[in-house]
Amino acid sequence: VYQVFENVAKKYDVMNDSMTLGIHRVWKDILVHKMNPCPGTLLLDVAGGTGDIAFRFINYVRSVQQRQLQRKLKHHQNLSWQEIFESYQNDKFNNSLGDSQVVVCDINREMLKVGKQKAQHLGYSEGLSWVLGNAEELPFDDDKFDVYTIAFGIRNVTRIDLALQEAYRVLKPGGRFLCLEFSHVSNPLLSRLYDLYSFQVIPVLGEVIAGDWRSYQYLVESIRQFPPQEELKAMIEDAGFFKVDYENLNFGIVAIHSGFKL
Amino acid sequence: VRCQQYPPLCALQASAALRAPSDEHKKEPWASSSQQHFDSPPAGHQPEQKPQGPHPSYTGQGGQESEDYESEEQLQHRILTAALEFVPEHGWTAEAIAEGAKTLGLSVAAAGLFHSDGSELILHFVSECNTKLSELLRNEQKLVQLGEAEKKPIDEFLRDAVEARLRMLIPYIEKWPQALSVLLLPRNIPSSLTLLTSMIDDIWHYAGDQSTDFNWYTRRAVLTAIYNTTELVMMQDSSPGFEDTWRFLENRVADAMTMSNTATQVQSTGEAVVQGLMGAAVTVSN
Repeated sequence: VYQVFENVAKKYDVMNDSMTLGIHRVWKDILVHKMNPCPGTLLLDVAGGTGDIAFRFINYVRSVQQRQLQRKLKHHQNLSWQEIFESYQNDKFNNSLGDSQVVVCDINREMLKVGKQKAQHLGYSEGLSWVLGNAEELPFDDDKFDVYTIAFGIRNVTRIDLALQEAYRVLKPGGRFLCLEFSHVSNPLLSRLYDLYSFQVIPVLGEVIAGDWRSYQYLVESIRQFPPQEELKAMIEDAGFFKVDYENLNFGIVAIHSGFKL
Repeated sequence: VRCQQYPPLCALQASAALRAPSDEHKKEPWASSSQQHFDSPPAGHQPEQKPQGPHPSYTGQGGQESEDYESEEQLQHRILTAALEFVPEHGWTAEAIAEGAKTLGLSVAAAGLFHSDGSELILHFVSECNTKLSELLRNEQKLVQLGEAEKKPIDEFLRDAVEARLRMLIPYIEKWPQALSVLLLPRNIPSSLTLLTSMIDDIWHYAGDQSTDFNWYTRRAVLTAIYNTTELVMMQDSSPGFEDTWRFLENRVADAMTMSNTATQVQSTGEAVVQGLMGAAVTVSN
């Protein structure tokens, strides 16, 4: 698995766009929207190598923070000069993120490197940390994070149950587990089209764009091997999460599973 | 035992187990039926099975044991109650719920348990208010039965009941218009309508209404109209102590009383007219 991603790291984003025809951006947007984070949230993004989820999270929190600030300013209409002066003093110490932070954790150094470069390039400076780590054995303390996300990463984990247990461990009570992953299409017609596309088109794209047919063959096969929605839901419940449910996107091509540590 | 194998049975057992503890908390049967009504809409787009409640304790980790002994519903109930404190500042939003969760020692992500538009928070609040009103009315009835208080005339009773219920909105009055609009969303209408009708039924029950005939509908419609219009007037009332609203309420209740008197009069007049016609017909035939 490590070598697959070493090869894939640099071309990861390009391949994502071409394979999914850009829809993966929408899927990731939906994931962050579902999370609905408020300022002050601590997010752990596992297997989040190139930082897609992390950047979206930061954008979302920034806009929420802006909205809150605007609402506060509206109230300023009726305040005395003294109160306005004091509120300006306070705002100076508020950063634009409102203490929210993302820790991006990945097992692969190359992916993290690409992610860091992207962050610099796009201008994301505060609130980001990059940590090397294994999802089955996270280098973090218990009860630390508000949200744990793993987008298109869990199918690459050898022991999914261990990863889920680790997720449970590092989440605070009340914390949320969110998993975005390829899943099973139940509609038979769509399933045939999807299989055709996966096995014929994707490895070819892999060869043409990234020069690596085998990695993408592996990718498609691992998607087929991955447990379907209900089974993954049961596994998440086994790890101790409550209120576990899933949302199918695009008829089951992708599914978002959500659970809470209560 | 995997609940997957016997989903219908397990779901029934689970829901029965869940309802049993939560029923103990509720005092009025009306309030409890409306509470369960709005707690059941499924979250997410797939119908979910609920093997909670009789959950073997998977969590031997950390200090989670305290949470195991209360059901999810109870925890959600506690979070929403805690969130009400933050509504004047944040409105009926997921932010208020997140703040509420924080005071309980949970992560802010627990707000994800609910819809992001704050529907559950508003419905919870309405249900709580209705429960409080029921209790108030029941205590008043007890006093009357014990002979310690006078039985109020019907118009005064209705006026006091509606006023008491509307006064519960005062701490949240600034953000209440927002709540009203959320309650009107198609998704929420079944729940909000059930809560409203059960509250009105409650008031009529304690007013001593035992009728099961046609009048039942008219009385509920009349009181619902009085309640809703007074609520709207209250939204834009800036008079001290909301005295304009209470005066409006008094007038509406008086109108309703006059209307019912007129209706009876019309009925008796109608009967008199019919009798007159019958008499005329008999005379003519003779």
